[in-house]
Amino acid sequence: MENAIEVTGMQKIFGSNPAIKNVSFHVKKGEIFGLLGPSGSGKTTTIKILTGELSQTAGKVNVLGEDSKQFGSTGFKTKIGILSDNSSLYERLTVYDNLKLFCKLYNAPLKQIDVILREVNLQEEGAKTVSKLSKGMKQRVLVAKALMHKPDLVYLDEPTSALDPGNMAHIHRGLKKLNAAGTTIFLTTHNMEEATALCDRVAFLHNGELQEVDSPNALRYKYSTHAFHVETFGGERLVIENQAENADQIRELIASGQVRAMHTDNPTLGQVFLKVTGKGLV
Amino acid sequence: MHIQRITAIFEKDLKDFMKNMMLLTLPLIPVVLALLYTRMGEGNEAFPVFLLYIIVGTTYSAVTSSSMMTMMAEENEKKTLRGLIQSPATMMDVIIGKSLVTGLITFIALAVSLVIVDIEPFLNFRVILGLILLFLFFLLLGIGIGLFTKSIAATSVYLMPVMFLFGFTPMFEMLGLNEDSIALKVADALPIMQAIEIHHTTSWIPLGIIAVWVVGAALSMYVCFKKTMTDE
Ligand SMILES: Nc1ncnc2c1ncn2[C@@H]1O[C@H](COP(=O)(O)OP(=O)(O)OP(=O)(O)O)[C@@H](O)[C@H]1O
Ligand SMILES: [Mg+2]
Repeated sequence: MENAIEVTGMQKIFGSNPAIKNVSFHVKKGEIFGLLGPSGSGKTTTIKILTGELSQTAGKVNVLGEDSKQFGSTGFKTKIGILSDNSSLYERLTVYDNLKLFCKLYNAPLKQIDVILREVNLQEEGAKTVSKLSKGMKQRVLVAKALMHKPDLVYLDEPTSALDPGNMAHIHRGLKKLNAAGTTIFLTTHNMEEATALCDRVAFLHNGELQEVDSPNALRYKYSTHAFHVETFGGERLVIENQAENADQIRELIASGQVRAMHTDNPTLGQVFLKVTGKGLV
Repeated sequence: MHIQRITAIFEKDLKDFMKNMMLLTLPLIPVVLALLYTRMGEGNEAFPVFLLYIIVGTTYSAVTSSSMMTMMAEENEKKTLRGLIQSPATMMDVIIGKSLVTGLITFIALAVSLVIVDIEPFLNFRVILGLILLFLFFLLLGIGIGLFTKSIAATSVYLMPVMFLFGFTPMFEMLGLNEDSIALKVADALPIMQAIEIHHTTSWIPLGIIAVWVVGAALSMYVCFKKTMTDE
């Protein structure tokens, strides 16, 4: 399968601060890829390099078959959609006029505006002035702006951080649908549940270094303790390693009707991250 | 540069201008000044040309330069410029779109003000050419300043010298300075004074001098442009 993003040995140094240290990964076409990391780990910097807003200090970056030197071209810019951190809208204009501007800049048909407003659950708000919207509504307009021209690849820098669970779920469904239609999605988030629910693969970024890249479930199994946790009717809690020699003990427990509950110990993605980096997600 | 994108930015900025009270009051300044003039005038006597050019200078500094730098600084301050630059629009598209809005507003403010006082002396090819060159000069100054100011508040720091030095130059004549004083000699070379000169001579030299000022403003704008483009 072809790759939408290929990064080899990427480095970014701000003055004397190495924000990204020798990072390599790829994102497959059609994938939802999540870049996870605590504040200051370099997520936004990575997105800025992948969109051409910043240039890397060293390394090779290739997106949609184009080298980073080509990222300024109109052709490239129309193929990608961006929701950046602290993006903003024209506060005095209406939602519709904001989207109309970008519709024209990206050369997309104006009828897309109504379609996308429905997708982000703002079909009633088109005529409202942006300054009168709530924070979550503004965020959804920004999501709409990033997706409106049907890009092949979208970058979403913490897309749902200002949203309530209802609207977050709505946006997630929208993103899944978009992805099913073939759009590659690259997102960053602090939210481990969001990453587990949405991403085909995730990468852990910590202090500018990439720690793990895999599917959320593969990572959970990889860092699982591979043990069965058994709770008996007698209130006893047992931890039994998932090994052949323990099969009889487990059989015995079940046969004698003592098992009230038994489950494997798969950590959540958040716990995996803690194990990998020795640090929580802030 | 791309016509459709420039049109999109022009449309957006025009709508935004109409909803921005701070910007909307700017074109009223020369109009109000013109109205005050007509109250001052005695009978049917024509206004001296240099007085008319105070209106021209006010329009170009308070409307042209000021709107341009305010619009650009606001895009910087509110972080909306980033969205434009991420899109296929180039910085050039953004500047041209805004210049067209500024041009339209300037034209309306200037035409209305001059009709109120006395438009007669301006209906002359060389004079109109001079007005166009002056517009370009003040527009380029506004763009240059707008490129590096990061907030609307900061623009006023730069607007003051533009207004007093280039906008209100004819007032120097009223200070009663010695004919030979250096200040007056320098003032005489400034673009507005050269535009006044057009009315008193058939020579093309004043227009040439204004053109040199335009080229100077264009060069300094270009330097600001290069500098912002290479900043990270
Ligand atoms: N323009 C810049 N100039 C200098 N240093 C910068 C710049 N942008 C980011 N940095 C530094 O690079 C590091 C990574 O920052 P970045 O914004 O990429 O983090 P992040 O993972 O997006 O954090 P958050 O979750 O808070 O958004 C930080 O140490 C930050 O101070
Ligand atoms: Mg960030």
